[in-house]
Amino acid sequence: MRFQKTFLATILLVCGYMHGQNKQLLYDFGEVPQSLMVNPGTKVDFKWYAGIPMLSGISLQVGSSGISANDIFADDGLDINDKVRDRAIGGMKIEDELSGTYQLELLSGGFQGRNPNNFYSFGIYNEGDAIGYWFKDYAILAFEGNADYLDKRFDLSHLKTRGEMMNVFHFGVNKRMGNGLVLGLRGKLYSSILDFNSTGNRGYFVTTEGQNNLLASTLNADMQLRTSGLSALDEAKDDGNLASTIIKRGFFGGNLGVGVDLGFSYNINEQLVVTGSLLDLGFIYHANDVKSYSLNGNATIEGIEIILPSALSDSNRDFWQDFVDEVDALVPFEDDSESYVAFRPTKLYASLRYNFGKPVRSRQDCDCNYSVSSNKGSLKYANGVGGQIYMINRPRGPQTALTAFYHRRFGDVMAVKATYTVDKFSLTNVGLGVSMQAGPVNLYLMADNLLAYQNLAASQYTSFQLGLNIISWGKN
Amino acid sequence: MKSFRTYLITSLVLVFLLNSCMEEQNFDQYEDLRLRPTYEASILYIEASERAIDAASSATFFSRDFNFDAFSESVFSERVRSGIITYEVENTTNQEFDEILVEFLDEAGNVLYTESFYVPPAPTAVLQREITFGPGGENIDIIRNTSSFRVSATIGADSSTSTLSDPKITLKSSGKFTVALK
Repeated sequence: MRFQKTFLATILLVCGYMHGQNKQLLYDFGEVPQSLMVNPGTKVDFKWYAGIPMLSGISLQVGSSGISANDIFADDGLDINDKVRDRAIGGMKIEDELSGTYQLELLSGGFQGRNPNNFYSFGIYNEGDAIGYWFKDYAILAFEGNADYLDKRFDLSHLKTRGEMMNVFHFGVNKRMGNGLVLGLRGKLYSSILDFNSTGNRGYFVTTEGQNNLLASTLNADMQLRTSGLSALDEAKDDGNLASTIIKRGFFGGNLGVGVDLGFSYNINEQLVVTGSLLDLGFIYHANDVKSYSLNGNATIEGIEIILPSALSDSNRDFWQDFVDEVDALVPFEDDSESYVAFRPTKLYASLRYNFGKPVRSRQDCDCNYSVSSNKGSLKYANGVGGQIYMINRPRGPQTALTAFYHRRFGDVMAVKATYTVDKFSLTNVGLGVSMQAGPVNLYLMADNLLAYQNLAASQYTSFQLGLNIISWGKN
Repeated sequence: MKSFRTYLITSLVLVFLLNSCMEEQNFDQYEDLRLRPTYEASILYIEASERAIDAASSATFFSRDFNFDAFSESVFSERVRSGIITYEVENTTNQEFDEILVEFLDEAGNVLYTESFYVPPAPTAVLQREITFGPGGENIDIIRNTSSFRVSATIGADSSTSTLSDPKITLKSSGKFTVALK
């Protein structure tokens, strides 16, 4: 239990500096095999590719929509208590989202099928995802208390959080349908390592003038926290085998789920391309190592009440214990091990892209060893410009981001994508991604919100993605 | 030439990506962060009707210990720094109360603190009193070590019966405590 509390507290704190994942740089970046992971219908012309294990895909995003580390920890001579009161307690809104995602590819590969119109990709990656909205009223209670808030209803629904860690085993098919249409489908098997969620809380706590006594305290609660895997990890930590337990649970020893990714690319004409994808349409069924906690009921108390002379009828009566028992009965705190289903945070991407400039010399014409495209795709242009939309399903509803991008190819050895993204977290998010090809070796590096690098501590959103692959387009 | 341009761009991109700054941060400030909320709630409510008072066979018509573990719970006692206990006594009976005593008792039954009220018969104003514990007031250890209350009431001379519809005496109390969570 101690570990669970510590873990949850850590998650909540860490989430305070993390931000939901949007891979706008990787999306529709066909030079990078991992673009298939954000759109299984991306146009690719590889013969095969193999990701360097553990290095092929690393992504992490950190951020916060309401506050930055600099707001609190800047060495500005101000009292940290004033800064927390003004900038966090008073400055943040309940819509401020505190979330984050990371992914680490363990295994990644892809190959062209016998039918050159088909491309198959597969792999395993480890993913962690967590979100917590700013629990404003809880923070007020913790920082200031209820003493100066007579009649204020502290809203218990402000606690809204979820998080998970899992391994994902996937296999995808990318098929050129002709007429410029590419469809993609990826099946996923989720092996959950841990999960927690507390998203449907309702109720309030309020202190009012009492009817009999001076004050009345009312708790109306309908709250639940569901977890899986935390007990197992807690025990493993005590036993010194935490790593092996994580590995075991990540390889089918925990809870399992299924999901799919869908995607497409379509050439409206020679230069205009529309794409879209729907990711992680799936769920995990949690039945193993489940522990759920609930607080449900309604109680109004005005301290210990003694009405004479009836209260004196039992000289041994323990009024305090009766008081505690009464509150327990009215608002019971319970735990159980009932299984539950947790849906994945589904993401949606879509883009419209206009290609222009000189068509890039195809690898088929190249006299290098790693040339020759077997796929008869459309021409590649040196430049591409367009817009993207990203949405992710979150507990308080969809979170949306809009991106404008410019994509530039420099021959066969390098491609660059620059993005400008607007979302609830930033209006100045400029990102840059580069993919470099040295023979069969592909290296990509992408970073977001570059303007914030002038002062990283003041950034509310910083992210990067990088990876290393071996790519072959086939030999002459 | 083309190769040079490509690598020049690559270098510039990498330099740009890797060249970041950060204003000076002082994470030691965390040690100065104080979480000291103030919570308030009712404590004890005692009500005695005039009929119950009249039925008393002795001058000390009421005396009783009430277990009250809230103050001595470690989650509270280790964190409480100051507090105010507010009393409100209202008497609508014709009975005079020579003394109403609220005694704070520790685990062993020792009296740590006593609050005494004289309450004249109705009509009389509502008696209000605030007692501060902690800096500038009574010792906060009284609160920390309180495990129960003893409330007793001593009535004065015989009196007539009130003509009000529901004559009674009430003792209300609430506490407002500042605790150090960090």
